[in-house]
Amino acid sequence: MDIELSSEDLAFRDEVRAFFDENKIKDGEDYFSWRLGWFKKAREKGGWDVPKWPAKFGGPGWTPTQHYIWEQETARAAIPFDLPFGLGMLAPILMSYGTKEQQDRFMPDIRDRKVNWCQGYSEPGAGSDLANLKTKAVLSDDGTYYTVNGSKIWTTLAHVADWIFCLTRTDDSGIKQQGITFLLFPMKQEGIEVKPIITLGGSHTVNTVHFTDVKVPVENRIGEEGKGWTYAKGLLEHERTGLAGLSKSLVEVEQLKDNARSVKRGNGTLMDDSSYKSKVAELEIDLMATEYTELRSLANAAAGEELGPESSILKLKGTEIKQRIQKLTVEASGIYSAAWGDGGVGYPFAKGGTGGYLNSRYFTIYGGASEVQKDVIAKKVLGLTKGSKK
Amino acid sequence: MNFELSEEQKMIQQSVERFVQENYDLPKRVEISSKDPGYSKEYWGSMAELGWLGLPFEEKDGGFGGNQIDTLVIMEQFGKGLVLEPFIANVVLGGGAIQKGGSEELKKEMLPGLIEGSKQMTLAYAEQQSRFDLEDVATSARQEGDKFIINGQKSMVLNAESADHIVVVTRTSGGQVDEEGITLFLVDSNTKGIELQNFPTVDGLRASEITFDNVEVSSERMIGELGKGFDILRVVSNNAILAVCAEAVGAMEILYKDTVEYTQQREQFDHPLSDFQVLQHRMVDMFMEYEQCKSLLFRATMETIQDPVLAQRTIHALKHLIGKSGIFVGENAVQLHGGMGVTEELRIGHFFKRLLVIDSQFGNADFHLDKFTNF
Repeated sequence: MDIELSSEDLAFRDEVRAFFDENKIKDGEDYFSWRLGWFKKAREKGGWDVPKWPAKFGGPGWTPTQHYIWEQETARAAIPFDLPFGLGMLAPILMSYGTKEQQDRFMPDIRDRKVNWCQGYSEPGAGSDLANLKTKAVLSDDGTYYTVNGSKIWTTLAHVADWIFCLTRTDDSGIKQQGITFLLFPMKQEGIEVKPIITLGGSHTVNTVHFTDVKVPVENRIGEEGKGWTYAKGLLEHERTGLAGLSKSLVEVEQLKDNARSVKRGNGTLMDDSSYKSKVAELEIDLMATEYTELRSLANAAAGEELGPESSILKLKGTEIKQRIQKLTVEASGIYSAAWGDGGVGYPFAKGGTGGYLNSRYFTIYGGASEVQKDVIAKKVLGLTKGSKK
Repeated sequence: MNFELSEEQKMIQQSVERFVQENYDLPKRVEISSKDPGYSKEYWGSMAELGWLGLPFEEKDGGFGGNQIDTLVIMEQFGKGLVLEPFIANVVLGGGAIQKGGSEELKKEMLPGLIEGSKQMTLAYAEQQSRFDLEDVATSARQEGDKFIINGQKSMVLNAESADHIVVVTRTSGGQVDEEGITLFLVDSNTKGIELQNFPTVDGLRASEITFDNVEVSSERMIGELGKGFDILRVVSNNAILAVCAEAVGAMEILYKDTVEYTQQREQFDHPLSDFQVLQHRMVDMFMEYEQCKSLLFRATMETIQDPVLAQRTIHALKHLIGKSGIFVGENAVQLHGGMGVTEELRIGHFFKRLLVIDSQFGNADFHLDKFTNF
């Protein structure tokens, strides 16, 4: 056991910091051209534009420690926004199960941030029980295309997506995990209707998507017909461990403390209030532990071992921490937490705080509700199944 | 010991319940909330006609001589529909201050109009630095002959844009956090020097930030004695706590019952969600919190009627428990509704938002726990 960063690691961290520093957006610079330019320069550094991709597909091939350093630095630096759908969700599936043609066709545009993807998994009747999905894909008699009918829900950013990767049902004769087929198709075409869902925080991020006779050529199918569940499952596990967002939470806790210090109470500030500061302290302690749980998980993954039992708790802990940060922001806002909209009433940080808290309730629902995650841990990690009496 | 409502109170309860059921489904509420003035004038008129606005006021002032139990009965039912009409601002806050501290002339002038719905009032007490401390008042009132000149800023004033009159809490002497030296005045909203910044609140209601810039008010418009306003403010604030807690109990009932119903309909993994023990236990917890809140609400209300000074500690306990349990019930109602719970489409989210706002009003859970601990 050793947590000291090696001199190589320290040099890497300095290099990352220098890169972020040199490539900050300049006053008056157009955001979107800066963003694309930033990724181009990151690519020239040797795959820094796709940090999580393996070296074989153009990634940097970092050690776990380097990934950790990157996470920490990106949480603090002003870097351009990025979306996970193509880069972190579809690309790994293409790498594992796509044909060479499919990889060559889709991955360059993902890497260049040219095409926005969305994920068509959940359905009105298939939430945490995702395998229950019913969107039908029927193969044409000549075997050249599928016709897709059905509905997806909670589709994040479907309204700005160019393409969708979508789970469809091609066979409902067997158990429900079988007969699911993984298809890719463009969003801007006839037969696709996107309707916004406004969430409690008052924002539009998720949608319902309806498909009516959407034609998808067979060459847009990933892997074999009926095996889509296997392909998606690997990704889901990836999603469930990748949602912790701890580096960002670390930065947010610092921000939370700064905010609380800006709220005057008597001769001190809200950070001198005993119940408030205890809650912040408890949050910090949980975060410190979770940070190392993530590191242990990363280290195992790097050693090529199976994900250890500790990785199963990351999503649960990480999302709970994020929700607590939001809740404490609302509490710090005091009477002003009740103000809605862009009015800008009271403390500067109060604006949007309550909306953020309300939307954060989703964190323990998406990607598998916390209750379902615990069922999975009970079964897979603790071996608690029905009839498991010893 | 008797927890039975009187025959009159039962009739009021049924009448308010029917009103809420007939007039306050979610689409209607959203429609009313989105348009100015943020509530229905027609409903407000009906409430006045039905006598609800006069319940807690004395008969000589045009009221019905009721007490905090009558308010509880109304507010609990209001909580089940998230009623938008400015009952708290008028009856509990503005009217409550006049009732408690106003001269006979002031009562005669203000209360009959308020009770019949033709006059509206509110109370401006909170300030940016005061957070939840009632005694922390920086807004000053300086005497000049038979007038006072008010300067300062008030925050989160409920329904101020509809109010014809504002009861404003000022400092006339002493240090910024002294209980002595606080004085209440009744000012006309259109007096020169009053400026409102209006905005919607998280729960779909309306509030304002108000600036008082050399606002002149006659010393005849003083409510209670010079420098003795804190006692009035504390009584009004306690009554407001009882009122919003009754509303919260109504909202919690809807949340736990809606959740029980939804989990029996929604199927995942080939079972209704209600088959899963972890969810059953969670709903039992929600139900227990609701019942406990209701009990403490009854206790605090009855103790207040008996002896408001002795009841103070119980009021702190109540507001703490309602804040904590309300958010527990709200968060879990959302969680058990899954993705649907996080949308504006189901009513549970709206009830959750109201509970969240109630925690931020008249002192949050932490504030009252601290007060209770140091009582």
